[in-house]
Amino acid sequence: MDRIDHLFNHYANRSSSHLIDPEGIEELCSNLEVPHTDVRILMLAWKMKAEKQGYFTLEEWRRALKAMRADTISKLKKALPELEKEVRRPSNFADFYVYAFRYCLTEEKQKSIDIETICQLLDIVLGSTFRAQVDYFIDYLKIQNDYKVINMDQWLGFYRFCNEISFPDMSNYNPELAWPLILDNFFEWMREKQA
Amino acid sequence: MSNQKKRNFQIEAFKHRVVVDPKYADKTWQILERAIHQIYNQDASGLSFEELYRNAYNMVLHKFGEKLYTGFIVTMTAHLKEKSKLIEAAQGGSFLEELNKKWNEHNKALEMIRDILMYMDRTYIESTKKTHVHPMGFSLWRDNVVHFTKIHTRLLNTLLDLVQKERTGEVIDRGLMRSVIKMFMDLGESVYQEDFEKPFLDASSEFYKVESQEFIESCDCGDYLKKAEKRLTEEIDRVAHYLDPKSEEKITSVVEKEMIANHMQRLVHMENSGLVYMLLHDKYEDLGRMYNLFRRVTNGLLTVRDVMTSHLREMGKQLVTDPEKSKDPVEFVQRLLDERDKYDKVISTAFGNDKTFQNALNSSFEHFINLNARSPEFISLFVDDKLRKGLKGFVDVDVEVILDKVMMLFRYLQEKDVFEKYYKQHLAKRLLSGKTVSDDAERSLIVKLKTECGYQFTSKLEGMFTDMKTSEDTMRGFYGSHPELSEGPTLIVQVLTTGSWPTQPAVPCNLPAEVSVLCEKFRSYYLGTHTGRRLTWQTNMGTADIKALFGKGQKHELNVSTFQMCVLMLFNNADRLSYKEIEQATEIPASDLKRCLQSLACVKGKNVIKKEPMSKDIGEEDSFYVNEKFTSKFYKVKIGTVVAQKETEPEKQETRQRVEEDRKPQIEAAIVRIMKSRKILDHNNIIAEVTKQLQPRFLANPTEIKKRIESLIERDFLERDSTDRKLYRYLA
Repeated sequence: MDRIDHLFNHYANRSSSHLIDPEGIEELCSNLEVPHTDVRILMLAWKMKAEKQGYFTLEEWRRALKAMRADTISKLKKALPELEKEVRRPSNFADFYVYAFRYCLTEEKQKSIDIETICQLLDIVLGSTFRAQVDYFIDYLKIQNDYKVINMDQWLGFYRFCNEISFPDMSNYNPELAWPLILDNFFEWMREKQA
Repeated sequence: MSNQKKRNFQIEAFKHRVVVDPKYADKTWQILERAIHQIYNQDASGLSFEELYRNAYNMVLHKFGEKLYTGFIVTMTAHLKEKSKLIEAAQGGSFLEELNKKWNEHNKALEMIRDILMYMDRTYIESTKKTHVHPMGFSLWRDNVVHFTKIHTRLLNTLLDLVQKERTGEVIDRGLMRSVIKMFMDLGESVYQEDFEKPFLDASSEFYKVESQEFIESCDCGDYLKKAEKRLTEEIDRVAHYLDPKSEEKITSVVEKEMIANHMQRLVHMENSGLVYMLLHDKYEDLGRMYNLFRRVTNGLLTVRDVMTSHLREMGKQLVTDPEKSKDPVEFVQRLLDERDKYDKVISTAFGNDKTFQNALNSSFEHFINLNARSPEFISLFVDDKLRKGLKGFVDVDVEVILDKVMMLFRYLQEKDVFEKYYKQHLAKRLLSGKTVSDDAERSLIVKLKTECGYQFTSKLEGMFTDMKTSEDTMRGFYGSHPELSEGPTLIVQVLTTGSWPTQPAVPCNLPAEVSVLCEKFRSYYLGTHTGRRLTWQTNMGTADIKALFGKGQKHELNVSTFQMCVLMLFNNADRLSYKEIEQATEIPASDLKRCLQSLACVKGKNVIKKEPMSKDIGEEDSFYVNEKFTSKFYKVKIGTVVAQKETEPEKQETRQRVEEDRKPQIEAAIVRIMKSRKILDHNNIIAEVTKQLQPRFLANPTEIKKRIESLIERDFLERDSTDRKLYRYLA
């Protein structure tokens, strides 16, 4: 326990409050030899159940490192692949997916995330498993004018879309069902391109 | 007791049995046989009925019933065989006559014989369950004459030939036909059917198959139907005269099938004479005939109805999407009403007010009226025209008729809320310009709309009427308390409750001094009695009557808009004014000012102002002066008009946008209402229920409904079910 706390303090000593701040996280990343925007950092945050983007509290830190049985940087680094496997398990991934969205809601009462951030988030979270869908959808998001932000319902809708709809033919997609409207529009746009 | 010798004296039981002379039976039979011969030879007059009867009776009594019966059969058979030879020998036309004659003879003979043999009929035959005399007589005739090979086919062919002749117009002996065919009927239903009716129906079928083909190639639809009807009547007549009544249904079925059912499509679709032609040219008689004939066959009326429906839809579609026809809204609607009247008349005159046709008419109208998005606006304009001047001079009853017809069109509209918006605008203009022809008519229509759509639809409209009334009272109060104002310009104010009237942005405008003084006096009067209210002058909606004196002494009273009044009054203090000066003085916005100046300076017959340069459009460098030479044959000249007009494109867009905005909360309210009561509902059902709930006002777009659902999800009124994506859940 002490070593975990000690490790925490190493990264937290820059900020005035007893937290690891964005700079601290950056240092952590370079020590772990993981890029700052890598999905594994997000996974680590998930493991911590970190509430505020860019900051880790002592409690959150302890939670993750204890579960991962890591009390040094090298142990933490070695535990990352295992963490990734754990997160990618279907039972956990849905939860992680929701968490990723919430993590980006920085303001109080914020319910939606701007398009640009969403595009980045999609890339990070789903890029490795649903490359094609993510690329096309990001293209569409950038072109369309109907929505300037994306909400949780639409975010979840896209995940279901990737899991259930065959791509790129989308032969089993039916816009008359309860899919979020933005996906109906995406579907139309794809169809037009394919014609 | 004396001992007497026994006598052979017995009282014996009465016995029928009499010691029979074996030859007795033969003798008796011979008598009877001879009698039968004589009867058949028309030589019966010398016979004693009583004697013959007794002989027959005795035979049966003495147990010779069988001999009698058999004898009777054999004898009759022999006679019939003879008769059939005679019949067969008859040539040509007399064949049938011979047959008929012999049949009648046989019947007479049979009756006599039956009477003679009645005891046998009732006892011997009864107990042995053999065939009775009379029916046996018929069977024998059937077997030996009718079914005699040399007669059988010839008989049938002769009969069928005669029918054929009659069908081609020849006169035949109907009495003879009836007699012979009755013979078949008497011989039994199966004989009639097998030996006559069935072949008759087959032959008729062939005949009509050929004839109908001929007709259809050579006649137009109306003529063909006349012929078909004629043939039907003939066949019914034929049955009445010489066939079994039960045949009527069968033969009419044949005619219906061959002449109508088989050619239904071709008839209905016939170019230049079929159903569409008849409809277009109001051929009531032909249409009625078609209706009566087609209703006899399966899917006959369905076919007519379908063709009528697609014709109506096509015609309607062309009518409403033709840009030429949309130029004049009043004419557009009148044309719709005329078409509806026309088809109404067709259905009531020719189709017996058939409800299914009424429904087809209604659904067709509903379909195409909504193809033109401006229909709601146009119907409102039509009503506006009627309420302004169109109903002038109409009696109450006629007014009601027109309003009811308008309501009928209204019912067809899918976007009733669009109509409401326009109706409100047009009503406002009518009320404010005092241009309504009949207050009663206005009220009547509101009542009808309320009955159709409920209280909410009309509550604001009624509010408008109330405002008008209240304003009258207010004006009375105002002038009552300011008697000094009876000299000088007269101000008439209508105070409008903002929520009830169509919203207009208030346009700034500098009123002439004498007018603004009055306005201020009114404002303080009003606010004195109604504290807490805010009054805003709607200068873009007012009118003014001005007395003007022109150069050569011409006096006129000009009826103008408020803006026009502001401009004209400036010329009391200046001879000539530039555009910029007018703009500065009145502060009227540029587009309104230009329109205003145009109506004062550029319209022939109304140009009380002259403009330099004399171009058509108003330019910002132009200058204006009074037209001293202005003339008009009327003392009162109307310049400003506040008549409702068809909207321009941008105005139309704006109205449409406002309607769409108004719909959003209505859709959301419907969704919430439904979800609150159902708690959980799947996507398709929500769409269906919402659409149904909103249908009295407008047709809800499924995409729009989806948008509203998502918005409600975002605002935490609803959520998606976590396991079944198609379900929505109400969040209390």
